Amino acid sequence: MQSNLNKLENESIFIFRQAYRSIPNVALLWSLGKDSNVMIWLAFKAFLGKIPFPVVHVDTGKKFKEMYSFRDKYVKKWGLSLIKGSCPSIDKIDPSLPPAARSAARKTEGLRKIIKEKNFRGIIAGIRRDEQGTRAKERIFSPRTDSGTWDIKNQPPEFWDQSNFNYPKSVHVRIHPLLGWTEIDIWEYIKCEKIPVVDLYFSKNGKRYRSLGDEDITLPVESAAKNVDEIIEELKISKTSERSGRKMDHEEENVFERLRSKGYM
Amino acid sequence: MKNDKNLDVPKIVIVGHVDHGKSSFIGRLLYEIGEIQEEKYRELKKASQKRGDEFEFAFLLDALQDERDQGITIDTTRIFFKTKKRKYVFIDAPGHKEFIRNMITGAASADIAILIVDVKEGIKQQTKKHSYLLKLLGFEKVITLYNKMDKVGYSESKFLNIKFKLETFLSKIGIKSYSSIPISSRKGDNIVTLSKETAWYKGFPFIKVLDEYKIQENEKSEFIRFPVQDIYKMGDKRIIVGRIESGKIKSGTKLIFLPSNESVNVKTLEVWPKAKKEYEVGDCIGITLSDQIFVDKGNMASDIKNPPKLTNRFESRVFWLSKKKIFFNKKYFMKINTGEYEVSINKIKKIIDVESLIEKKKKNVEKNDICEVVIHSSELIPMDDYTFNKSTSRFCLLDEKEIVAGGIVDIGNYPDQREYKDNLKQNIIPENYAVSEIDRSIKYNHRPGIVWLTGLSGAGKSTISKNVEKRLFQKNINVFTLDGDNLRIGLNKNLDFSPEDRTENIRRTAEVANLFTKAGFIVLVSLISPYRSERKKARDIRPEIFREIYIEASLEVCSKRDVKGLYAKAMKGEIKNFTGISSPYEPPEMPNLIINTSKCSIEESVEKLEKFIIKEFSF
Repeated sequence: MQSNLNKLENESIFIFRQAYRSIPNVALLWSLGKDSNVMIWLAFKAFLGKIPFPVVHVDTGKKFKEMYSFRDKYVKKWGLSLIKGSCPSIDKIDPSLPPAARSAARKTEGLRKIIKEKNFRGIIAGIRRDEQGTRAKERIFSPRTDSGTWDIKNQPPEFWDQSNFNYPKSVHVRIHPLLGWTEIDIWEYIKCEKIPVVDLYFSKNGKRYRSLGDEDITLPVESAAKNVDEIIEELKISKTSERSGRKMDHEEENVFERLRSKGYM
Repeated sequence: MKNDKNLDVPKIVIVGHVDHGKSSFIGRLLYEIGEIQEEKYRELKKASQKRGDEFEFAFLLDALQDERDQGITIDTTRIFFKTKKRKYVFIDAPGHKEFIRNMITGAASADIAILIVDVKEGIKQQTKKHSYLLKLLGFEKVITLYNKMDKVGYSESKFLNIKFKLETFLSKIGIKSYSSIPISSRKGDNIVTLSKETAWYKGFPFIKVLDEYKIQENEKSEFIRFPVQDIYKMGDKRIIVGRIESGKIKSGTKLIFLPSNESVNVKTLEVWPKAKKEYEVGDCIGITLSDQIFVDKGNMASDIKNPPKLTNRFESRVFWLSKKKIFFNKKYFMKINTGEYEVSINKIKKIIDVESLIEKKKKNVEKNDICEVVIHSSELIPMDDYTFNKSTSRFCLLDEKEIVAGGIVDIGNYPDQREYKDNLKQNIIPENYAVSEIDRSIKYNHRPGIVWLTGLSGAGKSTISKNVEKRLFQKNINVFTLDGDNLRIGLNKNLDFSPEDRTENIRRTAEVANLFTKAGFIVLVSLISPYRSERKKARDIRPEIFREIYIEASLEVCSKRDVKGLYAKAMKGEIKNFTGISSPYEPPEMPNLIINTSKCSIEESVEKLEKFIIKEFSF
């Protein structure tokens, strides 16, 4: 019988290959975080060492400097074809959103812009079901209208690894190869495969970042975990949620659903 | 992957009638075993109080605003948790009949199924429907939970009564009740620890039952099934990628590819960064072959001894998910394994009433009905019977826009279908040519094909095919047009327009086209070919590379055009057996492409066909 990581890896590879075969013009969202690095690694596996589509970094301009240097290093090292997208300023974003969520919504707009500009029909995103309640309800292949909206109450059926790909040109499909992974799976895979990640995940002065977003709306958590092994041990007993340091998640009950139904990852 | 001690993580689906307590049960369980994170607990408490409840366990899963406001689950969700023994994924499925498609989406990937029933309400419609769907999805046993025991005063007789009824029903559809537990999600009885309230219950609490449950491995079949997902060209290698659905593959394994029926050895295994010696069920791998043969996306590789059946007609049990009813002779797309086929539903054998398990007395299906149908395809499809190999015998049907149904293949119980096995033999191509087809294809950089243009006289077949021929030729494609009128000058000189001679005309043309394909050509056949049955015979010579193109134009338009002055003559009675006037034309039921020349210009029509050919036959 296959081990859990093996199974997850195979599932993701299958999804990658299915997406590439069935959807014209796909791109992978690289947020520079641990999950999207795992995605890139899995794409290497799926396509036997050479990723046949671009990776997109929708840059809010407010990431940690360590993340930018990580990006510039690994674009070269991994031979990625990188497309940088920019985000509009905060005053262009729905003012009814609470402050951190409003800031995060810039990324939605940046993504919408680059999808339109490059005419992407498929966007591969590294979200996981265990992160957040509405992400738990996602499909692996999730269609979005041209304005990027997610019709939560009317998702298409998806079973036996079969999905519908026959959508009008105005629709793009979000592809979620990591949907079935958990936070600890990600770290165990990083360990097994020796996948590089930004140093911010490791403890300095008793604190580390468990999830990385924009610098001004992301807080570090108390932690002594200085390396991947220690992170795995920490997660086995942790009682706090992965996104506890992400301010946007905790402003209002429905804020994540609002963001996501408008096209946030 | 090295040093991976990570154990398997079973997926558990929980199904049952709406409001029988699926989401609440999961919430309660996670609370009892301390798997709800503190901040999550605070957040849920706030959301519950906002809606006037003290604490609603279901909100842990019902994350959508509408779900919380209406108190029902709309879409399936998943939640991860661990017990002392192992990790699990809970899949919560909606119980409302409106959301059957979401229930199936959730349940289809589960390893363990739990059926929950409210002892106060008893067995309801969705209890039965969900059970039946579980059976279709491949479950042979379920854990049954009898919820809301607190509402019936923990009565043993009430429990036994419902249990008897439910087990009677389950046994009729072939599902075994693995364990029956009286619980209360509200009070927490018999979930993690045994309850004092049910001293009469001699079994284990739920969590112990779950931890001891042995997962049956999905596919025990030792016979290789390797559906081709894609083909990657890397340098001079052609790498066939796919997932092993059953069996094992290593270098040197002998495989037979269907529908081409050619056998070949695995040369290398292609996995990044480095391949192991052998791969097994569930592994996504790439392979190269020892000899060049035609392999296409959607083909099925299997071992020589026990390959899947090849058939273009089969029976199936399906669950129908669409509001639209079944239309006979409508074009549906069937996705099975990695293949996609155009099919039609020829017959509804019966519609099953899942409440009484007898046949429903009605003609057509409604949304969420379960029925047995006969499906027909123009191409031969490699497939297994459901009892032989689950993963290679289930499919979904789509119309132009959406998934309308899912189903399982039933070819085992129907001995009258055995004749189709012989198609295997019919498809064997004598390999007595010095230069093989594949060698030619590699040299010409495209595959051979028969592109059969049918339509009324004057519809535009010859004009389109001549123009397409020119364009393809300029792109270095070996292409040739066989025109009905030209053939009648030579090879078919002795034939007239009587039905018998038309049949012979088509037979000869098809055979000539076939020879051209052996020489590596893409042949455009421009021929009225008015009878469906004759076109089918032409297709059957090389079904895998035959494409039927309907050049459509109304009789009115064609007779107005009358380029050759034939319609005028026919109408005067000077030409006998003229198609459309004094002889019938049967339009194709499922052409691979329709070009309507009363709507498209010549230029547009030519471009459409050219694109189609390049897409279908590029190598």
